[in-house]
Amino acid sequence: MSDIDIKRISYLAKLKLPPEKEEFYSNSLKDIIKWVDNLKKVDTSKTEPLHNVTEKTVSIRNDEVSKSNSVDDILRNAPERAQNFFKVPKVVE
Amino acid sequence: MSSNWEMVIGLEVHAQLKTSSKLFSSSPNQFGSEPNENVNFIDSGMPGMLPVMNFGCIEMAIKTGYALNFKINKHSVFERKNYFYPDLPQGYQISQFEFPILSEGYINIESGDNQKKIRIERAHLEQDAGKSIHDIDPKYSFIDLNRVGTPLLEIVSYPDLSSADEVINYMSSLRQLLMYIDVCDGNMQEGSLRADVNLSVRKKGQELGTRCEIKNLNSFKFIKQAIEYEFQRQINIIDGGGEIEQNTMLFDTSTGETRAMRSKEFSHDYRYFPDPDLLPVNLSQEQIDKIKPLVGELPQDKLNKYLDNYSLDKDIAKIIIAEKQNANLFEKMISESTVKPKFIAAWLVGDIFAFIKENNLEVNSLNDKTKDITDLLRLISDDVISNKAGKEILPKVLNGQGKPSELVKELGLEQVSDSGELEKIIDEALVGEDENILKFQGGSDRVLGYFVGKCLKATKGKGNPKLINKILLERLKK
Repeated sequence: MSDIDIKRISYLAKLKLPPEKEEFYSNSLKDIIKWVDNLKKVDTSKTEPLHNVTEKTVSIRNDEVSKSNSVDDILRNAPERAQNFFKVPKVVE
Repeated sequence: MSSNWEMVIGLEVHAQLKTSSKLFSSSPNQFGSEPNENVNFIDSGMPGMLPVMNFGCIEMAIKTGYALNFKINKHSVFERKNYFYPDLPQGYQISQFEFPILSEGYINIESGDNQKKIRIERAHLEQDAGKSIHDIDPKYSFIDLNRVGTPLLEIVSYPDLSSADEVINYMSSLRQLLMYIDVCDGNMQEGSLRADVNLSVRKKGQELGTRCEIKNLNSFKFIKQAIEYEFQRQINIIDGGGEIEQNTMLFDTSTGETRAMRSKEFSHDYRYFPDPDLLPVNLSQEQIDKIKPLVGELPQDKLNKYLDNYSLDKDIAKIIIAEKQNANLFEKMISESTVKPKFIAAWLVGDIFAFIKENNLEVNSLNDKTKDITDLLRLISDDVISNKAGKEILPKVLNGQGKPSELVKELGLEQVSDSGELEKIIDEALVGEDENILKFQGGSDRVLGYFVGKCLKATKGKGNPKLINKILLERLKK
């Protein structure tokens, strides 16, 4: 089992972790992975991965436009709104 | 010395497909609408909403498959690429990862005087993200989700490109092909076609170096600038004893420099997995075959046809095939008249394109004037009017100021092609020119020009120069 890089995981999850909790969470995650690793006991070398339980193909629609809502409906859940934009804390990559 | 170095480049091109609706929702796929106008609950990532595949996108992907010599895969799978960003409300981008719809294609591009085959690893369908606007407010970003869910075809080349010019040629060939098969409008300024450039350097003949990826370049000029800057940047680092770190770079259009974009400390982990909301795409051979006839003639087919059947000069033929609307206009004129294609082509790339450029018009806008244009060209090629008169009338015809034959009469531009009349004028012009006639017979060709000029002047410029030439020669040789 690979080591848990708890700093990287908390960064990817955008969670701030106090240093004294690092070991605790690191160990919890290790336990979870150890449990999931039970699956490795099954020999799958001759099994195709199953992406979906039905054999069917994706449902399709024709390329047609329909509008089902208004800008106001969409912005109703916005944390803040400026004219017709969502207004969010600045995130620049 | 940078001359020992060479660059190795692979391109990821994102082409927005010009469907009416989005990839997985029926919101309009439209540029330039009011903010958040084209957004529904699927696009905005509301819980419980289910994406439904737009078959128009599959059709366009298959057309692209034929045009770029791809293997068209009957089985492809949509997966979730997980990352957080405010303009991606789902929290993941739906894309194809392990099983793309197209694999192993290629196109041929020009490289110097030769053709070069550029292999394309894959092309897959995916969703575009929304737009963040950072420069309105110092503390806040403004989000417009209109672009969310716009269908993209990401076309990933092998690292077969080795100069900025090759990249430009590859990119413009792709653009031309996608526009020919009508799957992308090719408008780079509006972001319909964007490129990520993967570039590494190496000493000639050596192993591949570490690459950096320059994101989101949306003009040929920026692509060229970014490549030239990044090439030199990497050489400088290695020459200074450093090592290239694999990085994602941004190109700053104001300074012409590239700089690292993502924090180097931690790489992203997208945790791809098959999207449980979408079953795999399984196409039948029949579905794929049905789309082949929709591909139509490609630029290379047209080029061959123009050279072989119409005997056009290669340079002229290339200008005409550069854009599909040029070729359409040209072929419409050929089908509607008996004027020689070569003659039509010369006028098209000459005076007609000059008129379009001067007046800032779309080539398409002349589609309803083709009959008048070819009528005019008929008059010129039949010597009813001179070339010069044709040039004078053409803008009026293109502006819809009258029919060619009426304009010729109105402006009195009809040529004198009556040989009897011309003979009389020529005979008069030769009176008292014994000395010059002797000079001509003694071998001075220059005198002929003088005589032609004199005769033309006598006809007030309306004499048919070819005919005058012919009669003059007959007279002078006596």
